[in-house]
Amino acid sequence: MKAQLRSRLFDQVVIPILAIISGLLVASVFVWMAGTNPLTAYADMFSTAFSCEAFERCDLFTTLQLATPLMLTGLSAVVAFRSGLFSLGQEGQLMLGGMMAAWLGYAVQLPPVIHPLFAIAAAMLIGGLYGLIPGILKIKLGVNEIISTIVLNNIANLFVTYLINFPLRADQSTTAHSHPILDTARMLPLAPGSKFGIGFFIAILATLVVTLYLWRTSPGYEERMSGQAPFFARFGGVPHEGAAIRGMFLSGTLAGLAGAIQALGVHYRMLIGFSGGLGFDGLTAAILGQVHPVGTAVVAVFFAGLRQGAQVGLQFSSRVPRELGGGIIALMILFVAADQIYRANLDRLSSLWNRLRRRPAVGEAA
Amino acid sequence: MHGLGELFTTDLIRSGVRLGTPIILAALGGALCHRAGVLNLALEGKMLLGSFVGILAAFYLGSSTLGTVVAGLAGGLLGALFAFLYLRYQVNLIILAIAINLFIGEMTVFFMRTFLGDVGTWSDPSIQQLPDIPLPVIDRIPVLGRMLSGYNIIVYFSWAAALAMYFVLFHTRFGRHVRAVGENQQAAEAVGINVPRVKVFALVISGVLCGIGGAFLSVGHLTLFTRNMTNGRGWIGLTAALFGQNHPFAVFFAGAFFGLADAFAVRLQTTTDVPPSLVQFIPQVLTLLALILVALRVQARVALARRAFRRRAQREVAAQEAL
Amino acid sequence: MDLAVEMRKIHKYFPSSDVTANRAVDFSARRGEVHALVGENGAGKTTLMNILYGLIQPDHGEILIEGQPARIGHPDDAIRLGIGMVHQHFKLVPSFSVAENIMLGMEPHTAGVLRRRDEVESVRRLAERFGLPVDPTLRVGELPVGIQQRVEILKALQREARILVLDEPTAVLTPQEARDLFTVVRQLAQGGRTVIFITHKLLEVMQVADRVSVMRKGEMVGTKTIQETDIRDMARMMVGREVLLQIEKPPAQLGESVLQVKNLVVASSSGLPAILNVSLVVRAGEIYGIAGVNGNGQTELVEAITGMRPIEGGSVLLNGIDISRFSVGARRRAGMAHIPEDRLEVGLNLRASLDENLVVSRYRLPEFSRFGFLLRSRIHQFSQDIIRDFSVAAAKPGEGISTLSGGNLQKVVVGRELAGKPDLIVANQPTRGLDVGSIEFVHQTLLQARSQGAAVLLVSVELDEVMSLSDRIAVLFRGQIAGEMHAGEATEEELGILMAGGSLLEGADGRDAPAHPEKGQVA
Repeated sequence: MKAQLRSRLFDQVVIPILAIISGLLVASVFVWMAGTNPLTAYADMFSTAFSCEAFERCDLFTTLQLATPLMLTGLSAVVAFRSGLFSLGQEGQLMLGGMMAAWLGYAVQLPPVIHPLFAIAAAMLIGGLYGLIPGILKIKLGVNEIISTIVLNNIANLFVTYLINFPLRADQSTTAHSHPILDTARMLPLAPGSKFGIGFFIAILATLVVTLYLWRTSPGYEERMSGQAPFFARFGGVPHEGAAIRGMFLSGTLAGLAGAIQALGVHYRMLIGFSGGLGFDGLTAAILGQVHPVGTAVVAVFFAGLRQGAQVGLQFSSRVPRELGGGIIALMILFVAADQIYRANLDRLSSLWNRLRRRPAVGEAA
Repeated sequence: MHGLGELFTTDLIRSGVRLGTPIILAALGGALCHRAGVLNLALEGKMLLGSFVGILAAFYLGSSTLGTVVAGLAGGLLGALFAFLYLRYQVNLIILAIAINLFIGEMTVFFMRTFLGDVGTWSDPSIQQLPDIPLPVIDRIPVLGRMLSGYNIIVYFSWAAALAMYFVLFHTRFGRHVRAVGENQQAAEAVGINVPRVKVFALVISGVLCGIGGAFLSVGHLTLFTRNMTNGRGWIGLTAALFGQNHPFAVFFAGAFFGLADAFAVRLQTTTDVPPSLVQFIPQVLTLLALILVALRVQARVALARRAFRRRAQREVAAQEAL
Repeated sequence: MDLAVEMRKIHKYFPSSDVTANRAVDFSARRGEVHALVGENGAGKTTLMNILYGLIQPDHGEILIEGQPARIGHPDDAIRLGIGMVHQHFKLVPSFSVAENIMLGMEPHTAGVLRRRDEVESVRRLAERFGLPVDPTLRVGELPVGIQQRVEILKALQREARILVLDEPTAVLTPQEARDLFTVVRQLAQGGRTVIFITHKLLEVMQVADRVSVMRKGEMVGTKTIQETDIRDMARMMVGREVLLQIEKPPAQLGESVLQVKNLVVASSSGLPAILNVSLVVRAGEIYGIAGVNGNGQTELVEAITGMRPIEGGSVLLNGIDISRFSVGARRRAGMAHIPEDRLEVGLNLRASLDENLVVSRYRLPEFSRFGFLLRSRIHQFSQDIIRDFSVAAAKPGEGISTLSGGNLQKVVVGRELAGKPDLIVANQPTRGLDVGSIEFVHQTLLQARSQGAAVLLVSVELDEVMSLSDRIAVLFRGQIAGEMHAGEATEEELGILMAGGSLLEGADGRDAPAHPEKGQVA
């Protein structure tokens, strides 16, 4: 029993930590190339990301707000992966959800709290429906979901770009964008000076809901069994096809929700460059977070902190370009995926350790 | 006035060829990897690396052509690294690709800002755009000549690459081994083919092609490097490879088609109110439909086989019962 | 006495499945002979040949080829030594032509460029030389299986194979194609080659082999010439003279018929008929055992009955209701339980906890979930009950099961399946890979279910298990019932013969191959 717990702990916590450390170590080479001491650079980075000088000038708030869409797209990836489908479709679902929310934000008239709720619900629905497509294609026709979600991302992206540039274009400014949403639809920030608002708490709530759903409900159970052991699920009478498709629907709703929050709480409209890789970032958070909702949320905050710290801390104080943040993240997920490196070497270390321990002390009989 | 109509079309074609070239190169690289059984999702990253290294090398070596060559080598190196991590440490293909794409996307800008001055876009007046090369006899032909001649060397390279890939895949030992590995790895192993080596080669070559494709973007036309220069062309290349079912000629035309759609979209934008994304939309949808059709065909075949089986079995059973 | 192949004291242990596939096995084959290597699935014959071909490395033992010691670390080495192997699952590239497949890896070329015409010519000449006509230009994927096999054989011959190993070659052939193959095999042997023929079909051994070696449970039982043996003898060697497990069995209290299978037709995964016109009835309170060597349709039969595989003809009735189109879940709800042959991949989810494993077939019931929420404490209690009732050691409800022993894992499976007092229990190889204590436990559990009125369909390759547990026994051969009888009247010999495709009629000893095995039906 203890061995089981130990190995699970190892997998789920030690390896990600090792990956994080390795990523930071390798990246420090680049920091040094940029002419700064890595230790001070990292200290700057992390302190700024998670610091809070005053309620009006709180970097921590910005970090948490930046983490919000990552947490949600990360959750989206977690739900899809747990159902057995490697969906990369968060980008496209996020775009469509954001577009829907931004459009409903000014196209309809509704009283204050109802307006954003309605827009969010619609965004989630459309995200879910868009997630349903690759799900059905995979389960009923066997179309590879990695490829179909990539193509569907392209389609969604182009479609939204078209909408912003033409039918829904607000004005002739250089960056095309849709009409700003009405005040009634806005998700107001909780603290001045940042866009930190309800969105973050929605993301936390979503994390809890997803955790509960996956481990405490029947449909969640069905999805997990279908994803972990499809033959077993079939044998046991679990409707595994329906479960996988439902998982894709839910995955889509979560990404749609992320888009809605971005549209209603951050940009207040839809614009070119809306996503900027939020889907993929959430996906990478899910990978580092061991495909667990809570782990993903923690890593999402960490990633957001990295990027924010790199942007504000490094760039201003240490003259190290903020892109290092993204570079570190890339290295970390690379190391997490290359966990064989750790396992192989740790096995060697532990057997060496065992051999050392068994050696009799000098003078003792063997 | 009548000449204007003609110009309209040939200019469009020329623009389409130019826009299609990087896509074609990425697509050919992707197709080769797919033939070897490796889904290569890092085309985007390899292209971007090619763009960056290409323009840097052009600057330091004083020649855009040399820069292109170095870009290809850099792409090949990255392909080798990819292969190493994938084969030796069994890193998951998709995560590896995501990590590489992200790393290159961010770190090229990092290096640009660290070493080339704190700018978002870098250029230098000394860098020469790749020269346009007129083809001696062909450029004399009335309409076709304008369409086929006067491109820079990377464009011609992409045509040659498609031909070469066809030849290699279907007329050489290496190509046959690649296809065997991709279709039935066990069969290849059973006859002693070195499967890892084949995959490494495929990844390196695709890296070279993507690198050169990326160089086209930075020194082939614009002579600058900017953040996210490739802007999804690697992914479009992947889509073109899928659309062309990984056959070099079909992939070439798919890439050309995508490029033409791009050119057409831009043209429409300047002359009418039709939005470009609507036109670029079509190749994507077509690809999705192609994927669905392929899957449906497989299903249909299975269903037919099953029906035939049932009929035969029914006859057997009836015959036995009659005894 | 020219020995082409000699394998001495070959030993191979697989830690991952805790199985000793080969235990000090001695095997030899002469030049110019057709040598059959016979045994049930799991006897170790494929492992032995994979070692010969360099796909697996032995733990101990040595190999001599043509009298010279040989180290075979990789199929390349085997090929160089003149060993060729045709596997059960062909290693062909479907979109390549016959010539391209045969010459794969040794294509004629000039500086890398293929010389297609030379290739086709070589293959044509090769085919002529061995009397195995094929059209070199046809695409392999479109060819019938018999021709594909011919391509595989030519592939080995092209590489100058002097020792040819064929692994279950007739598994995918029609009887006519099999006869053609035998002609080819005899020709090759006459030409001085050694053909080693892995099979479990004793009839074919009598038709084509010169000598036969029988393996059982990882050991070499014996080698005889064809003149010295017959089907009965080989069956006895294959199946073993183990002491019958004497099990105390109260007489059967029969009730209504629970399971009715009528004219069932099921396809195998490769599109061949795996079950052809099988009918049987299992009554409440009885154990109906199906004996047979692995590979005669047992898997497909069980999967069709339990809903894991579609039915192509005929029907399955449970308690009078036609369940042929029911989903797995619906069949379970109708009262069917299933102990699968693969407990690791199918019967259990080793990555999940004990709770999650036990509740898989009943989580929707109101006692275990309400409004979609799982009632954890009830499930917990259920797990505790099963642990107690079935004495599952080292298991705790909320924890994982991956460290449990095979016996305990099977207890989990059996406990779960029997928990709902099902009307029908389909048990497929329920004691595979278990230690003696666990085997006894499973047997006792099944007998208890039987006395409580359940109908049990027992499918097993262990003849002694079938004989001691069953009330009635049927033998499955080539997808059909070769014979059905009351357990009291069955003898090991008779069953062995039926299992090997022989006939129970007087004077039929397998030397004249009958067209169809006679069915010895007992009312």
